[in-house]
Amino acid sequence: MSDVRPYLWLIPALPLTAAAITGVFGPRLLRRHSHWPCILAGAGACVVAVLTCLAVYQDIAASEHSQPQQVRVYYEWIRVGDPGAGRGIEVGFGLNADALSAMMVLVVTFVGTLIAIYSVGYMHDDEGYARFFAEVSLFLFMMTTLVLADNFVLLYLGWEGVGLCSYLLIGFWFTKPAAAAAARKAFLVTRIGDMGLLLGILLLWSRFGHYLDYQHIFDNVQSAHKAGTLDYGLLTTACLLLLCGAVGKSAQFPLHVWLPDAMEGPTPVSALIHAATMVTAGVYLVARCTPLFALAPDAQVIVASLGALSALLTALIALTQNDLKRVLAYSTISQLGYMFLALGSGVRSGSEAFVTFAVLAALFHLFTHAFFKALLFLSAGSVMHAMGNVIDMRRFGGLRKVLPQTHWTFLCGGAALAGFPLLSGFWSKDEILDAAWTAGLHAEQYRGWYLVLWLVGLLTAGLTAFYTFRAYFMTFWGEERIPQEAFEHPHGHAAHGGTPRLESPPVMTVPLMVLAVFAVGVGLVLGPTHLFGHFVAHTPDLPEYEAEVPNYFMMVISSLVALAGIATAWWMYVRQPDLPARLAKSAQGLYQLSLNKFHIDELYEAFLLAPLAGFTTFIRIFDLYVLDSLVDLTGQLFRWLGLRFRPVQNGLVQFYALAMVLGLTVFLIALLLKL
Amino acid sequence: MTALPLHHYLVVGAVLFALGLIGFLARRNLIIMFLCVEMMLQGVSVNLAAFARYRGNLQGQAFILFLVAVAACEAAIALALILMLYRRRHSLDVSKWQELREPGEGPTEDVEPLPPTPREPPLPHLTPAGVEPEHRPEESHV
Repeated sequence: MSDVRPYLWLIPALPLTAAAITGVFGPRLLRRHSHWPCILAGAGACVVAVLTCLAVYQDIAASEHSQPQQVRVYYEWIRVGDPGAGRGIEVGFGLNADALSAMMVLVVTFVGTLIAIYSVGYMHDDEGYARFFAEVSLFLFMMTTLVLADNFVLLYLGWEGVGLCSYLLIGFWFTKPAAAAAARKAFLVTRIGDMGLLLGILLLWSRFGHYLDYQHIFDNVQSAHKAGTLDYGLLTTACLLLLCGAVGKSAQFPLHVWLPDAMEGPTPVSALIHAATMVTAGVYLVARCTPLFALAPDAQVIVASLGALSALLTALIALTQNDLKRVLAYSTISQLGYMFLALGSGVRSGSEAFVTFAVLAALFHLFTHAFFKALLFLSAGSVMHAMGNVIDMRRFGGLRKVLPQTHWTFLCGGAALAGFPLLSGFWSKDEILDAAWTAGLHAEQYRGWYLVLWLVGLLTAGLTAFYTFRAYFMTFWGEERIPQEAFEHPHGHAAHGGTPRLESPPVMTVPLMVLAVFAVGVGLVLGPTHLFGHFVAHTPDLPEYEAEVPNYFMMVISSLVALAGIATAWWMYVRQPDLPARLAKSAQGLYQLSLNKFHIDELYEAFLLAPLAGFTTFIRIFDLYVLDSLVDLTGQLFRWLGLRFRPVQNGLVQFYALAMVLGLTVFLIALLLKL
Repeated sequence: MTALPLHHYLVVGAVLFALGLIGFLARRNLIIMFLCVEMMLQGVSVNLAAFARYRGNLQGQAFILFLVAVAACEAAIALALILMLYRRRHSLDVSKWQELREPGEGPTEDVEPLPPTPREPPLPHLTPAGVEPEHRPEESHV
């Protein structure tokens, strides 16, 4: 098979073309056909991504135990100074397909295409139909650029680009004040993290050899480490700054507040951007920078702690939320927290191979999570679509007869998320717990702390199973309740004879079924067979990897915890439907704390926003009365000077002539003196 | 007979120019001022001619031809303008014309104004003689 990688540029280029075509011709010419460029470009990019994966895989098979050579596509973009001598900047539009990028780009394009198809049904009567697909295409372009970039600047370009698309798509229904506010919040909160990322990139550039591409930076750091001249404090700082960006983008504590609000956007967007792809960019960044993080155990422990804290905190919040999409949003933060926990567990513990094992656990969870979380969001969207845009779980119930296909797909996704044995979430979550456990036993530093984090992870696994099945039982079990809005829906196929048909059209359910197959099967196919591990482990710069023996003890424990969570949810919401209310009443304080998201938004409001608002008021007054007066003063000065000189214009010809002669005289005298 | 050296001519030109300049600044009669300007122009012309002769080429003299032609045009226009101005104010005093000053500034008053020109007696009005010839009434309304 010929090598496809010289055509790697097609992956970002196709969606960009689609975005341009849809953006220019969509509203006037394509109208109801605006989805075609997006879907075709996504599918095309997906094909190229699959071929790229195969090509990378062939390389790996051909050169067992040696690093596969990389094929890069390179266009010079910025060149300042003399980069060869380490003085200057060289940034190329360099695309690089190694195993990690190829895996990421496959997920992005595959899930993106399915979601685009689903959106045809979901958005079908929306006024901004063309705008939606243009923005989704643009997002695909930015996201593929982000993961394929071979240097930090191009990554940053994609990083900001997906932030922009996220802003545009959250605020898609911008006439709704809540959506506009949510879009603004998402943009500004991630901006805090992006600032850290930028500083981190600049620090790496200025202190580790004036390079911006991954390869040179990692090589420099690695050789400095071997030579013993590495400044570990500086490296830790750089890692923490990069982490700052990752925390913002991946909505980890303390910057997680934007993601639940981002659910104001259309549901396919929540599935694509805020579950499957964009929010995993932070995980990708940290995984990509593993060679740096592996040398900074202090940074690693912070990564793991932040991840575990986010996972637990948001799982607790998700327990009591009544908005189906918000439950899923908090669950996304929680799962991303899991990934960070795994990444952070990748510390030196005897062998270097463990670092790779931990990173692989995180990436495997990223991979499976993309499928089952996209599936859950799309199923939630299908429910929302059928219920006339009602998403409050207290207003509907018992939908498993009404929406049979959605019910099954949601169940698949939910079971995978909960870590039901043998489904995909089970394999990846198990590896993460295993990574944390091993770090707790063998890490050179912070051994006890990693054990605590493992316990947190295990607890979160139980909570995950519980809240996922709470949402499932509340939506699909119990007595059948359908809100009135469902029948007012423009295409709510009103009762022809028997029961009304509320199930979504096939254009929505088919992508759901495809995703369901993947959510169920992908873990079993790729996990225990080590296919995924062997593939991604061949990413250059990752330490050598040996397949570990499956930890059966961990599997049993995590399955038990997951089953316990599911059983509790079943007991509370199917068997004893009045139990949750009684529990909530008896533990009113805790219940309210969780329902109100631990008041984090309010805390930010009181301790950050209010002082900032006060400061801006001060600045405003300063500007109005001090700076403006200064500006006015300059104007007034010349006004005054002008008043003094006004009498010179007296209208007498001879006075003007005299002034001219005098001026000429002065000029001539000056000329003579100069001679 | 030896040719006069260059600086003699230049001195004559400078004297003419200076006299014209002083006259332009000091006199208030519009016609005199105009004549002074012409004198300055002639001072320059003398210089040009002297240099042309000194350098042995004709460029300066060719330039003078243009100068004289322009001065003649100027004279025609300036005298017509002065006539119009005189008709408005019945005076040739240049200080009667200071309307182009900054708005809000008072006029510059003269300490010793020129004595007013006596009104010239009107031309005698002759009674028409003969019969008015017949002509068609004008049709144009332009």
